[in-house]
Amino acid sequence: MELSDANLQTLTEYLKKTLDPDPAIRRPAEKFLESVEGSQNYPLLLLTLLEKSQENVIKVCASVTFKNYIKRNWRIVGILVEDEPNKICESDRIAIKANIVPLMLSSPEQIQKQLSDAISIIGREDFPQKWPDLLTEMVNRFQSGDFHVINGVLRTAHSLFKRYRHEFKSNELWTEIKLVLDAFALPLTNLFKATIELCSTHATDASALKVLFSSLILIAKLFYSLNFQDLPEFFEDNMETWMTNFHSLLTLDNKLLQTDDEEEAGLLELLKSQICDNAALYAQKYDEEFQPYLPRFVTAIWNLLVTTGQEVKYDLLVSNAIQFLASVCERPHYKHLFEDQNTLTSICEKVIVPNMEFRAADEEAFEDNSEEYIRRDLEGSDIDTRRRAACDLVRGLCKFFEGPVTGIFSGYVNSMLQEYAKNPSVNWKHKDAAIYLVTSLASKAQTQKHGITQANELVNLTEFFVNHIQPDLKSASVNEFPVLKADGIKYIMIFRNHVPKEQLLVSIPLLINHLQAESIVVHTYAAHALERLFTMRGTNNTTLITAAEMAPFVEVLLTNLFKALTLPGSSENEYIMKAIMRSFSLLQESIIPYIPSVITQLTQKLLAVSKNPSKPHFNHYMFESICLSIRITCKANPDAVGNFEEALFMVFTEILQNDVQEFIPYVFQVMSLLLEIHKNEIPSSYMALFPHLLQPVLWERTGNIPPLVRLLQAYLERGANTIASAAADKIPGLLGVFQKLIASKANDHQGFYLLNSIIEHMPPESVDQYRKQIFILLFQRLQNSKTTKFIKSFLVFINLYCIKYGALALQEIFDSIQPKMFGMVLEKIIIPEIQKVSGQVEKKICAVGITKILTECPPMMDTEYTKLWTPLLQALIGLFELPEDDTIPDDEHFIDIEDTPGYQTAFSQLAFAGKKEHDPVGQMVNNPRIHLAQSLHKLSTACPGRVPSMLSTSLNAEALQYLQGYLQAARVTLL
Amino acid sequence: PSERMRKFKNKGKDAAALRRQRVEVNIELRKAKKDEQILKRRSISFSLRDESLSPGEDKRNEIIQLSLEEILEAVNGSNPELQLQATQATRRMLSRQKDPPINQIIELGIIPRLVEFLCYADNAPLQFEAAWALTNIASGTSDHTKAVVEGGAVPAFISLLSSPHMHISEQSVWALGNIAGDGPLYRDALINCNVIPPLLALVVLPLPHSLLQRGPFTCLLFQVGFLRNITWTLSNLCRNKNPYPPLDAVKKMLPVLICLLKHEDKDIISDSCWAVSYLTDGSNDRIQIVVDTGILPRLVELMASPELIIMTPALRAIGNVVTGTDEQTQAAIDAGVFTVLPCLLRHAKPTIQKEAAWTLSNIAAGPCRQIQQLITCGLLPPLVELLDKGDFKAQKEAVWAVANFTTGGTVEQVVELVQSGVLKPLLNLLLAKDSKTILVILDTISNLFLAAEKLGETERLCLLVEELGGLEKIEALQTHDNNMVYRAALNIIEKYFSGE
Repeated sequence: MELSDANLQTLTEYLKKTLDPDPAIRRPAEKFLESVEGSQNYPLLLLTLLEKSQENVIKVCASVTFKNYIKRNWRIVGILVEDEPNKICESDRIAIKANIVPLMLSSPEQIQKQLSDAISIIGREDFPQKWPDLLTEMVNRFQSGDFHVINGVLRTAHSLFKRYRHEFKSNELWTEIKLVLDAFALPLTNLFKATIELCSTHATDASALKVLFSSLILIAKLFYSLNFQDLPEFFEDNMETWMTNFHSLLTLDNKLLQTDDEEEAGLLELLKSQICDNAALYAQKYDEEFQPYLPRFVTAIWNLLVTTGQEVKYDLLVSNAIQFLASVCERPHYKHLFEDQNTLTSICEKVIVPNMEFRAADEEAFEDNSEEYIRRDLEGSDIDTRRRAACDLVRGLCKFFEGPVTGIFSGYVNSMLQEYAKNPSVNWKHKDAAIYLVTSLASKAQTQKHGITQANELVNLTEFFVNHIQPDLKSASVNEFPVLKADGIKYIMIFRNHVPKEQLLVSIPLLINHLQAESIVVHTYAAHALERLFTMRGTNNTTLITAAEMAPFVEVLLTNLFKALTLPGSSENEYIMKAIMRSFSLLQESIIPYIPSVITQLTQKLLAVSKNPSKPHFNHYMFESICLSIRITCKANPDAVGNFEEALFMVFTEILQNDVQEFIPYVFQVMSLLLEIHKNEIPSSYMALFPHLLQPVLWERTGNIPPLVRLLQAYLERGANTIASAAADKIPGLLGVFQKLIASKANDHQGFYLLNSIIEHMPPESVDQYRKQIFILLFQRLQNSKTTKFIKSFLVFINLYCIKYGALALQEIFDSIQPKMFGMVLEKIIIPEIQKVSGQVEKKICAVGITKILTECPPMMDTEYTKLWTPLLQALIGLFELPEDDTIPDDEHFIDIEDTPGYQTAFSQLAFAGKKEHDPVGQMVNNPRIHLAQSLHKLSTACPGRVPSMLSTSLNAEALQYLQGYLQAARVTLL
Repeated sequence: PSERMRKFKNKGKDAAALRRQRVEVNIELRKAKKDEQILKRRSISFSLRDESLSPGEDKRNEIIQLSLEEILEAVNGSNPELQLQATQATRRMLSRQKDPPINQIIELGIIPRLVEFLCYADNAPLQFEAAWALTNIASGTSDHTKAVVEGGAVPAFISLLSSPHMHISEQSVWALGNIAGDGPLYRDALINCNVIPPLLALVVLPLPHSLLQRGPFTCLLFQVGFLRNITWTLSNLCRNKNPYPPLDAVKKMLPVLICLLKHEDKDIISDSCWAVSYLTDGSNDRIQIVVDTGILPRLVELMASPELIIMTPALRAIGNVVTGTDEQTQAAIDAGVFTVLPCLLRHAKPTIQKEAAWTLSNIAAGPCRQIQQLITCGLLPPLVELLDKGDFKAQKEAVWAVANFTTGGTVEQVVELVQSGVLKPLLNLLLAKDSKTILVILDTISNLFLAAEKLGETERLCLLVEELGGLEKIEALQTHDNNMVYRAALNIIEKYFSGE
């Protein structure tokens, strides 16, 4: 592509089309751009457009396209991945680097941001080695005096340097940082000082101040990045300059910088917030050097807190500031800063209590944005909230001042409760704050239980529960004071391990009742609390609350749970669905009478949400609940399986036909569960589906593979004979699936699950003609890419084959592929690798298989294979006695080690669809060691004298000792 | 099979991989701290030296100021009087505390001439002044030292070690110390010029089994100041890696250093401790040479010294020893390291806390019998304390100690660790502003869960982690910018906290 006007024109048109709302126009344009992006000059054309185009929209579009292009292509991956060539030619790279900085700095802000991002992406790869003049180029601009330019440089520097905050220390990283410090630290410091001076000369010029403060924020952020890994010498030497100025900025206020916006933090807040972070960084990491400055910061930050308002825009600042105090007050050598009773009281009164109050914004969230409220309040995503920060400060203070702090707060709790009692409808927020204080203070006591001393508790948890929590929940109206109800329910959840069981039992009907509350938060909390109570452990690993204790409430519980799903805003409430699942699991057979209605409601729900699945957790628990209904019912009455099939198959068919991807793996699992319940021959309805399961397209999606393999295994278990007789033409398809799976390093174990089921269940004659081919496929994979996971599965398979078809058959099939192959497999794979096999069942299969090779395979006794007999026996004894070899060769670390194979399909996304581990050897062999002894005995009676002589010549002493133990235990001797 | 069993220990990671050598940091962002290091070079300023020591000095305070040109002329001239005057003037300039004009003197090109003066055995005052001047040049930067070496000073100084004039011999020791301190290259150049025998010959210890003959002037050599200088120079000859000092040189110096460690002067002890700490900062066979001298009990004793300048290098030396083999570590344990460590872990100085924790972390990387000794000797309480309240640098090391403990310890030992209250401060440190520390903690948590699984206590551990505020911190780490951190956090959540 030449840098011509014609090309600029074409590019402009295509860019314009990529903004078109109509996908029929947009998509081809996007495709086109992608197809030409490998051409030389393409990026330069984009840069020209974003600089010179007449239309602003094209400028912006070109800058975004340019950034994305850089993001996709700058990194040269060609060395690692062969088929991804380098799309940007060297001359373009050089030209981009030569022009981008001035271009970025002269562009309007919108474009500047994109180019700045692009620079940092390029910098990540090329800086510093391949872009040595970048820093100088940037630093030189500091002298320009133009703060638009300076802010552009600072922003770029920030995006280049911010990775220092999270990367691991390495020589390479530190070399870069050192280089940056040498070039950047002094100019940055000078700029900092100059900017602060400018702030005072322009103290009355609002627009100038805004630009200057934006610079200060970026400078403060750069300070954080550059000081993160370690305290640089330069900054240690210049600590006085930085800290003195930071300190005075903290105390600075200027009316011109105050914003009217209540929500969005202004420049002043952002700057102070970053300074708190910087101070906290130094306090945490460079305590020794920072000590002289710290008390000043404590005072400044404390004053800041006392004078900052309740508006949301101050939240980040306040929580950062409180977190700073919290981290400092825990340190022994700063104890004295807080020790004074007046200080403590004033921190409690002026910092902690006000920030624990339930604010208007919280109330709004409670009512209108309950999902967010719940996430913050319940799931601990409140890390940055004021309340949370206040709690952390309480905990920090308790480390040294538990007594006084507890004293101060119990006074507060009592007075707030009294306020509430005077006029509940007006003063309910006081009670909320009281409960919140108790919750945050007493959980300190809770953690101390595991420590050395029991904390001096603020209140008696049970008494507080009985006197202040239960009355709210017992009140006639479930909709009155919803916030207090939510507080009360949360109290039960938090202290469930501390409140005596009888009190919990009293609470259960109250919680069930609150499932009907209109407030989303309240009925969600009720469902969640019930779910949590049902998972508590009692003695003997049983649940604390038993099905018998729940008997009187079963009907109302189920009714209210399902009714709650019909309340506005909760139609896909995951907490409720989880509570349904948990209730089923706890109540077991006592839900059977309600199943017909339950399953109708669940299938209706399923049908409804399958139109547009959007809540993964909700969906997951819904399928779990369906599985539980099936299991519980069919355990008592297996024939009921037909009813479920009748109720579910319609919906399932629709899901499969409409290809609802999220649900298909679930459907396969439920079907597996249903099919496994059938005791007799496989129903024809399943057989009709069988050919469809072998369609390659289904196997393309990795999420389908584990449940589909599981389902095919169920087919083989129940219907091997039917398949052999009525669908023999599908066997090649089945093996095709096996072939596909075995070729992949990630899924090969799934292929083995399938193969093992085929070997175990299919009538031998039906697979006869394919057997040799199967072995050849396995050998090919073994030759091409041998991984530990593959070897482990392979070992289990050949031993299962040996058990099923006999040791001689195993030897023959190997040797039919290539003469002496059997010996090679023994010598190169079985003997050296058997120690890697993991899992009880897998080890048993291997033990029994190897025993057969040792004792039921004549060629082992009288051919050249004989020399392998003792090493094989020794390996078998090793398998019995030595720890598992779980080392993994270094070069395999990057393969998915996560899916370690088990003999069973380990995939159990649905916990309640799982099945028991299947042992194909079963009762045939109970104790593999005894079995070995007995088999050896049998062999030795067949050829007396041979066995003992082989043992005595080459089995090592330790192994021999173990073997003698087995023989004794089996009460046999070798002849 | 026992060989195989060994292979399986620690799930394939052997102890050597867990031990963390003192990392050779090529890049340092921080300011070098004076009390953590001894100086590589020392220059002699007026304040450092009693003027009267210089016999040729004009004591009437008639300081003759000379210009550089005058100096050049006089030095190159043949008048011994003027030579002395000029050399003295040079030495005086170089002894200024503020910005001595080393570069100008080098550029003047008089170094070869000064080196020549070193050989004027009949003019001791000139020898001395030249030696002093050259010492101060060598005390500058690497380039300055280079100029002195390339001027041919090394053989001259080495032969002056045996000068009959004590102050000249002492001056040579000092100069050679500066040269040796420059780096492995010059250090080995000195060793190859056979510096060690005459240097050791100067050491006369007031000990009954002194290995060395007394020379003619030994009575003077009891002066502590001289012995300090020798010790410092010896320590520089032991200093630096890549390569290490030659083995036979080390073997020659070591017996003397061992004697010096028993001296009563704290500077001598300190510098000889530093020397031993350099010698142990290396491969296991280097460590073994030191262990074989039987000095470990003395080093452990010195670790408990109230003098920071002694405690610091002694702790470093022992810290280095326990990076070695299990047997070497055992030798340190047998020498009583566990009796001293608790105090050091609680020391007011952060660097001491840090070094002590690093030492402990390497012992915790050992076999479980050593971990057992660690427990029995009561090291867990101070470790937990440090993790809770220590300086951040020390906390980081304490985290490693806990991590290693959970990797190599038996299930029972891990239970004991948890019972000692380690979990709370450990989980708190998930807020640390250091990605590596966070990752190590997450690995440790995984190790704890593996142990809990073996005991069937997974749920209890889940509960404990949640109660101590760990779960929310781990959850928050799922959005961490560091990939490995976020994956490790995700892994724990998925494995232990997602299912029911």
